[in-house]
Amino acid sequence: MGIVQRKDLSLAERLYLPEVVRGLSITFRKMFEKPMTRQYPEEPLPKTEVTRGQPRLVVKDDGNVACVSCGMCEAACPAYAITIDGGETERPIEREPVRFEIDMLRCILCGFCEEACPKDAIFMSDELELADSSRGALVYDLEMLKRPKAALQKRIDYVYRLNQRWRKSSSTS
Amino acid sequence: MTTTTKVFEYTPGANLPPGDDPLHGELMTLNMGPQHPATHGVLRIVVTLDGERIVAIDPVVGYLHRGKEKSCETLGWHKFFPHTDRLDYVQPLMNNIGYALAIEKLAGIEVPPRAQVVRVLLMELSRVMAHLIYVASQSIDLGAVALFFYAFRQRELAYDIVDAYTGHRMNNTYVRIGGVYADVDEQVSAMAARFVEEFPLALDEFEKLLTRNRIWCDRNRDIGVIPRELAIAMSLTGPALRGSGVEWDLRRAMPYSGYESYDFDVPVGSVGDCYDRYLVRMQEMRESIKIVRQALERLQTVKGDVLAEDRRFVLPPKDKVHGSMEELIFQFKVVTDLRLPRGEAYHGIESSKGELGFFIASDGTAKPLRCHVRAPGLMNIQALPRMAEGRLFSDMVSLIGSMDFVMGEVDR
Repeated sequence: MGIVQRKDLSLAERLYLPEVVRGLSITFRKMFEKPMTRQYPEEPLPKTEVTRGQPRLVVKDDGNVACVSCGMCEAACPAYAITIDGGETERPIEREPVRFEIDMLRCILCGFCEEACPKDAIFMSDELELADSSRGALVYDLEMLKRPKAALQKRIDYVYRLNQRWRKSSSTS
Repeated sequence: MTTTTKVFEYTPGANLPPGDDPLHGELMTLNMGPQHPATHGVLRIVVTLDGERIVAIDPVVGYLHRGKEKSCETLGWHKFFPHTDRLDYVQPLMNNIGYALAIEKLAGIEVPPRAQVVRVLLMELSRVMAHLIYVASQSIDLGAVALFFYAFRQRELAYDIVDAYTGHRMNNTYVRIGGVYADVDEQVSAMAARFVEEFPLALDEFEKLLTRNRIWCDRNRDIGVIPRELAIAMSLTGPALRGSGVEWDLRRAMPYSGYESYDFDVPVGSVGDCYDRYLVRMQEMRESIKIVRQALERLQTVKGDVLAEDRRFVLPPKDKVHGSMEELIFQFKVVTDLRLPRGEAYHGIESSKGELGFFIASDGTAKPLRCHVRAPGLMNIQALPRMAEGRLFSDMVSLIGSMDFVMGEVDR
């Protein structure tokens, strides 16, 4: 336990004028410090693979989305932003999303969908800007969410690196 | 063991000096807030004034009520994490950890040692960030505008660390049941090490500008005095309690996340006025930096996973999900049907405002029975009427600032 020290002010401090000079010397020095202001729209913020931007759907090299519309991201979403309608397809995976919508106004960019997805179909991109003149335009549909796998590769690698855990064999299996 | 109850006599206006105010006796009721910039959010205070003197005040809370506790019941255990971010939004990671600790207590999950070190690091950084908000807002409320910018500059540096670690500046949601989502890598720990070196110098500068400043002293000293007994009776916690000279810090009294093995000091005040609470918070920031330094050292030696291996509550690694049917089943179970054992648990942590407690009750299903948040700010607001009585109206701002509550947490 340490009792914080409180001393009475000395005469010079009570006179206030010498203190004004001392305070101004600190604020004056600040003028020559390097400013840390970022001119945001002109000077974009640094983006790394850690940056959690808006979720995007992975398009595989054969041109199809990796999503099989299992509904895990829908179930994991704490903001109820995702809506999925699944349908059948001729491809071997048998199911694909007919409708996949993310309401970007509801999305809180928490990344739970990315964590929950068992097919590596949804990942957080580094796209952050979100502005439009109508609410309807910000409900992104399947076409707007599609991104080629190469564009998301950095993030995919990062998530896989994070998941390098429990290298010993599973205790339950 | 017997308990005694001490009744505090309280008559509003009893301590009021008559003064030579010609308008003495003519009471005026004034609304301060809920949109007043000095009320730190949306607190409304109904002030009854006699001239310049405050007769009584009545804080009205609830303008930011979003039903967080109730939403936990429909969302489920895991999906409540983003909501805890938004309780006390100046220290989101601290709230995450408090909630995770309550769940881990109920489920009996052992958190890996490295995750505990990372959590301590995050909690102490959050404490610095939250206290910087206090210094910044208190000083701009009392007229020291330059210091507001200096403090926010430092806060931005701390946010950069959190940004590099979690990918978000605020509302991070990076704590999971059984640990944290990601490990702290070299880049982040290097940033934190640099911050630890540079921040005490900035803190010295703040103290040079404020601690011996006559205006600061005039507006903080002997204002809002809470005697030791009253502070305990009002169930104040955190710097508001320690400012009144009670040495009560949950990191010491009921250690969690390995706090018992860290070397730090608990600063306490002697008078219990706004100035003491300011000094306590300044000293606490220095102690937090001390803990961050120790945690960074431990990160060098303590290796291992940052998430507990427990298939009931923790998602399996991604690559295993692709290869194994069992892991896929666990993945589905954890996301859609995370169940805690039947029972209830309470865990309180020492947040920057005081004891932040989470009480959770589970009936064994995926739907929580109850989640209650013990918000330190709500208790601290209760002391405002006793502090404000008989003071000048202009002291109201420093009183509100020195209790340092965030309405997102008070109203929930």
